[in-house]
Amino acid sequence: MRLRVFGLALLLAGAAASSVRGQDAFEGKWWKRPGIATQLGLTAEQQDQIEKIFVRSRTKLIDLRADLEKKQLVLGEAMEDHSADRQDVEKKIVAVENARAELQKTRALMLLDIKQVLRPEQWQHLMLMQQNAREAQQRLRERVRERMLEEKEKAPPPHPKQR
Amino acid sequence: MNRPTDTGRRGHLSEAELFGLAVPPAGEPEALPGHLSECLACSRALSEWKAAVRELASEETEAIDRRSDAEWTAVEDKTIAAIRRARAGRRASWRWVATIAAALLLFVLALPLRRVASRPAPTRASTPSSEMSAQDRADDALLRDVARLSRGDESPDDDWISLVPDPDGNGGNKPGQL
Repeated sequence: MRLRVFGLALLLAGAAASSVRGQDAFEGKWWKRPGIATQLGLTAEQQDQIEKIFVRSRTKLIDLRADLEKKQLVLGEAMEDHSADRQDVEKKIVAVENARAELQKTRALMLLDIKQVLRPEQWQHLMLMQQNAREAQQRLRERVRERMLEEKEKAPPPHPKQR
Repeated sequence: MNRPTDTGRRGHLSEAELFGLAVPPAGEPEALPGHLSECLACSRALSEWKAAVRELASEETEAIDRRSDAEWTAVEDKTIAAIRRARAGRRASWRWVATIAAALLLFVLALPLRRVASRPAPTRASTPSSEMSAQDRADDALLRDVARLSRGDESPDDDWISLVPDPDGNGGNKPGQL
């Protein structure tokens, strides 16, 4: 029993680490996007397998998302309430984090199953694509930001602000 | 960081300032201007921009070293144009801003896809489906939401965290908020 618990903990840790490394690659239904599917060389069979894994988790993900969002809403209301009891707010914070943990666990286990459908080289390619995307997006952000700041500096000074 | 702004008489943060806050250089988080803690409109606008930028970051692109300067400039021009168009829609919902980001994203994706189209098609036993159905799009939104919530990102509509003043004492919470 202990070994099984330890094994599950290891699996979850691995899945969590993978999902952190490739979190953006896993956002959305990437296996249905033609660009990614083509670059990865995903077969229709692999797409079907991944789809089935996702469908098995879909209802649970919908329920867990709703549960987390409701708890966030309740916490948000309590945070804005001047008369809120500190201990009550603390309980609500814990409830939000527990709901988030359950959602993370379900997602991580689904991703682990999906990872096993891919060949190792496809997985590596997916990670590489993710890295490229991050670098490209960061570079685009920095270039656009620099240009906008340059244009702002060239613009005439604004009138003093009236608050 | 209560610096003057260049957008209108009400002193709201400019789009350039919002973009700068939504897209800080890597490893250089900026302190939030005190104005954000006083102005719900700017706080919301920043959340909208962060959401739009998240959309930009969530798709695949070609390796950056394969992109020419001209292609980069074209993408920059398109991005800046989208930001300027968004200025007019400051009061629009965050979904509208996300739509602009999605349109921009299509342009970003078009660069690598154009190249893919010009290459010989890879030989595969079977071909993946080429279009996303309405159900796929709904699933896509679900998975993005789940990823965002798992990371602990607040949704744009209840981003009360952004109302907290920055640690060096700028700003503060408006009475009645937090």
